[in-house]
Amino acid sequence: MKKILCILLAVCLVFGLAACGKKGDGKTHLKLWCIATESDANRPAYLDAIADYEAAHPDVKIDMEAYENESYKTKIKAAMMGGSSEDLPDIFFTWSGAFLGDFVDAGKVQLLDSYYGPYADAIPEVMLANTTYNGGHYGVPTTFNIVAMYANMDMLKEVGWDHVPETYEDLIACCDALVAAGKIPFGCAGKETWCVTEYLEPIIIKTIGYEALGKIFKGEATWNDPDIAKAVSTFQDMINKGYFDPAGIALGNDEVKANFLAGKTAFYQNGSWNTGEVDDASFKSAVALFPVMNSSRSSYDQTIGGPSDALAVCASSKNLDLASDAAIFLGKEICHYNYLNAVGLPAWIPDYDTSSLPALMVDIADIVAKCEGMVLFGDTAMSADPANTYLSYVAQVYGCEIDGEGFVAGLTKDLG
Amino acid sequence: MGVPPPLKEWENRIMNKLYSRKIHIIVFLLPALILFCGVLIAPIGASGYFSLFDWNGLGEKTFLGFANYRELFTSDEIGFLKALGNSLLLAVFSVFLQLPLALGLALTLGKKIKGERLFLSVYFMPVLISTVVIGQLWLKIYNPDYGILNVFLRSIGLEKWTRIWLGTKQTALGAVFVPTLWQYVGYHMLLLYAGVKSVPPELREAAMLDGASDRQVNRYIVLPYIKPIIRISVIFAVTGSLKSFDLIYVLTNGGPLHATEVPSTLMINMLFLRNRYGMGSTIAVMLIILCFGFALLISAIFREED
Repeated sequence: MKKILCILLAVCLVFGLAACGKKGDGKTHLKLWCIATESDANRPAYLDAIADYEAAHPDVKIDMEAYENESYKTKIKAAMMGGSSEDLPDIFFTWSGAFLGDFVDAGKVQLLDSYYGPYADAIPEVMLANTTYNGGHYGVPTTFNIVAMYANMDMLKEVGWDHVPETYEDLIACCDALVAAGKIPFGCAGKETWCVTEYLEPIIIKTIGYEALGKIFKGEATWNDPDIAKAVSTFQDMINKGYFDPAGIALGNDEVKANFLAGKTAFYQNGSWNTGEVDDASFKSAVALFPVMNSSRSSYDQTIGGPSDALAVCASSKNLDLASDAAIFLGKEICHYNYLNAVGLPAWIPDYDTSSLPALMVDIADIVAKCEGMVLFGDTAMSADPANTYLSYVAQVYGCEIDGEGFVAGLTKDLG
Repeated sequence: MGVPPPLKEWENRIMNKLYSRKIHIIVFLLPALILFCGVLIAPIGASGYFSLFDWNGLGEKTFLGFANYRELFTSDEIGFLKALGNSLLLAVFSVFLQLPLALGLALTLGKKIKGERLFLSVYFMPVLISTVVIGQLWLKIYNPDYGILNVFLRSIGLEKWTRIWLGTKQTALGAVFVPTLWQYVGYHMLLLYAGVKSVPPELREAAMLDGASDRQVNRYIVLPYIKPIIRISVIFAVTGSLKSFDLIYVLTNGGPLHATEVPSTLMINMLFLRNRYGMGSTIAVMLIILCFGFALLISAIFREED
């Protein structure tokens, strides 16, 4: 009896192990890594896009694995370092600019030029600029976002404002009125420095203009511009006047956003991917851009943003053609659903009904349509080491450890 | 009932034969040796190798010699010395605050007090809870708006004492130390409690018969007896402080403005945010050297006292 049991167990074990190495459904499996976790606003778009792809390709199964934003950066870099095709996904989410550029330089990413053929009219070339390296397209944009200033119109109405201030003087007057009424104008998450850049960079672009800032981020111009110091001083004046929630320095972005959605702060300046959540808030909301600081160098219709989120294909994928086609299909569809869900602007030209878009998203689309120039987020545009040096100075500005001159002098010394 | 003599003789013969042939010893030790080298020695060696290069983890490596080590100790931007200082401060608090507290609890519980098991479980519980959960718990406690600490201070009329505990440079380090020390009090308590329980009862009884008080019994019988365990606890406390990472990462991630930076958070920053794998490896090597160094130093201090 014992012998029979042993043989049965051994047989089970052998079959069990065999099953580990082979998918039982007969389909080709493509592994997709992304940051669309349960709490991420992009998740519904990913799930819908995958469902569409699998319906159109019944013999292919997309295995999506989602990781939290910060840990994903560690995971994808560690996996790329390892380099074994078993460790790597077929398709992966990436930020464009320098983040993807490092992988491209190392030969880890598949060139997608030949796969874009059927989609030539579906996406403007400018939307591919941030994922283009040495003239080749290596990424598929999944969305397009700008930094937007969301306003709680109910709070503004309580202090006598029925519209979002569009000049700097009006913004200051509005913030003074809010502070006098015991309300907090802005919230900014000091624990996540990229959130501070969502305030500082719009002020800088509205002071020195998009062309100058773009050149600085690309390393083509120096940080040594006295107007940048003035922009930083403006930001710090706003902090010192009590326009920012002092508790924000210890909070993360989710908490600061929750405070805005709960009516604790009147404004929230962050990426346009928050539009859906703001639109669902219990108060009347509106959106605008940060006002102009120096009209001789900038204008209202300039902002920070661009297509940053993208999908790319690992060069080590065993199904390169299939994964490349799937990445483009998924990128386009994620973009489609993200736009309809008010999670991001369309990098791809919409070929679907957009009449059901939330009003706030339509307003942002109008802002973008009028936009005369924009610059990609600084920490995405720069490569990892200089980006973190830059973020370190931004954190010091928010903590008022250095002033405008110190910011400019430090960055000029370290980054040129 | 004993083992029959013929079997015992047979066993002895086999064992003697095994021990007399070195090849057998090597074969039996080899799996553990391979595992030890693969998991511990090889990564240390790889870190040492990478620490000599400028490398972004993906492209070509550029040999720098010991330039990364020089930069580590001289660069204000990296701030390694400040991070090391924070870790050493944590080690001081750990040795002079956490361990005495753990020892006090171990001595008290070792006296067979009522509810001994319950107290043991309660004090040990934080060690069992995931650090991320503890981090989230203390994030809520320190929340400037609704955190229980500020709410309590306001409720007793001490509003001016309320702070943004994790967001102010002056308070962040202390605020991070409290849960870090609190979490492992139970761990050291359990180590020391096991030592206290191993003291032979006849030694205690003899001292009591000679008229020694509880304090004297602890001072002259228990503490000398558990000295090896105290030494282990001190080594764990100091090396644990140097390696501290998870709770600080959850609570502040080294901020605000690097006020709570420790070598491990700095290492992660260099490796995965700045893509400076050479510098990250240099910090890893320094951590290993420091941990070994302190372990040897503490052992030497205890040996000298003996």
